[in-house]
Amino acid sequence: MSHGDTIPLHPSSQSDIDEIESLINAAPSATVLPARPPSPPRASIPVSSSPAPPPFLPAKPATAGAPPLPPPSLGVNVASAAAAVPPGGRLQGGIGADGFGSAPNTLTEPVWDTVKRDLSRIVSNLKLVVFPNPFREDPGKALRDWDLWGPFFFIIFLGLTLSWSASVKKSEVFAVAFAVLAAGAIILTVNVLLLGGHIIFFQSLSLLGYCLFPLDIGALICMLKNNVIIKIVVVTITLAWSSWAAYPFMSAAVNPRRKALALYPVFLMYVSVGFLIIAID
Amino acid sequence: MEEGYTYTALPTSHLLGSVPAVIDGDIKGGSSSEAFHAASPANLQVFPPTNGAYQAPGSPADGNAQTATDWKGFFSISSYSPYFNVDTDVVVDRLVSSVYPMDNFYRKIDGNPDLYGPVWISTTLVFMLAALGNFATYTIQKRSDPSMSWNFDVGFVNWAALVIYGYVIVVPAALFFLLQYFGINSSLIRLWCIWGYSLFIFIPASLLLVVPVEIFRWLITILAGCASSWFIFLNLKVHTEGSSMTPLYVSAMVLQFALALFIKIFFFA
Repeated sequence: MSHGDTIPLHPSSQSDIDEIESLINAAPSATVLPARPPSPPRASIPVSSSPAPPPFLPAKPATAGAPPLPPPSLGVNVASAAAAVPPGGRLQGGIGADGFGSAPNTLTEPVWDTVKRDLSRIVSNLKLVVFPNPFREDPGKALRDWDLWGPFFFIIFLGLTLSWSASVKKSEVFAVAFAVLAAGAIILTVNVLLLGGHIIFFQSLSLLGYCLFPLDIGALICMLKNNVIIKIVVVTITLAWSSWAAYPFMSAAVNPRRKALALYPVFLMYVSVGFLIIAID
Repeated sequence: MEEGYTYTALPTSHLLGSVPAVIDGDIKGGSSSEAFHAASPANLQVFPPTNGAYQAPGSPADGNAQTATDWKGFFSISSYSPYFNVDTDVVVDRLVSSVYPMDNFYRKIDGNPDLYGPVWISTTLVFMLAALGNFATYTIQKRSDPSMSWNFDVGFVNWAALVIYGYVIVVPAALFFLLQYFGINSSLIRLWCIWGYSLFIFIPASLLLVVPVEIFRWLITILAGCASSWFIFLNLKVHTEGSSMTPLYVSAMVLQFALALFIKIFFFA
């Protein structure tokens, strides 16, 4: 790699480089938001600070009731130890976007905090993918903070809705829907990779899962209203919406001469799911 | 910096997900076998692909690094990408020539057989058979029994997948082994390519089979079956150039026609 970079930059790399440069040149007081919240540290046994201090340090009554800290290293002085208390030192340990002080202990945080964090990530990813926003054209930026919970919920929801709408063979309908969607997402990603495209495997799975959201809405409406004409109209609209959501990402990932080859399977999958929604009664 | 670094101009379009690396002049004991890529293009004759193996240029041919088929190449994606090295216009061209005219097809795929066509044609056919089969069954039953209500049988998807994928995978493989047994040189990828593209004609045929007139349906089935069998026959004959295996050709044609009949009888009853 030190022999000179003869490989042309991927178009999305330039935006990353620009971002890094602007961060380097930015004022030191600018807040630097990490691309994703720093991962919580591995679970460590909570150590309360009062019995632990080394013999030559006076006891620190200020931190006695503080959230459990990782064991402070010997020789650290009081000032830095006090500064290591997470901001707003709530007893239960906050989510802590700083990550530079003592890391929050997500093992002991309330379940609602964890769920809320995951839900907010799902919502923000959804807004990035499915609704118009300025980041859509740059696949490097879109869905940088990918996760798989969102796609999981959407696939399960679609399978359940189809299963509820069906009058016979409910479990087989769920199985077919789930298999088609899950295997389809994987196969589509592998297809792009085989055609020589540049995508990250899980990011693409995540994106294809999020693009199912319009079809979820369509399936819900179709379950409630059983009229064929309405179903066809609703499914057509949501199908177009899903395809529009997936298009920029997929088309930017491959060589322009192979764009149609990469997009056709996506279209095929959404059309078959759409037909499944219309046909199940 | 060591002397003796050799650069080869790596065709990077099929190095996926891995950083294209410089090929070192001397052998380093078996490290990072997936990043190294020999200068020679992948051997399209051999399946499973072997270009996942490290091949040091300048060492004697087939050094000790590659014994039998390297099964590590079986599981890495980059070793299959030579079979998908096609552009949109190439695929469209092949699709058209699988229907009309049928004799140019083999020359088009001989140098660069692709698996993109077979995979996605069969997948499309599976979904179309399931969807249109249901619809066609409904329309023809509605003619005889107007009180019949729409009923989607999801088992059609399972049957379609089983039959189509099974046919496209098993029949060329069996033929390949049979040809090897008779000592005829043949290539599995090209056989899969031929069979995959031969299914393309069933896609517009299944669209036409929705029309609820029984005579028309049988007519379409016979036409599509004959066209497809003829396609198989022509290409198989060119493929096994020099040796005449007429019983094999006839049985391949009969199988293809049987597939057409099965599609009509099962899905468009």
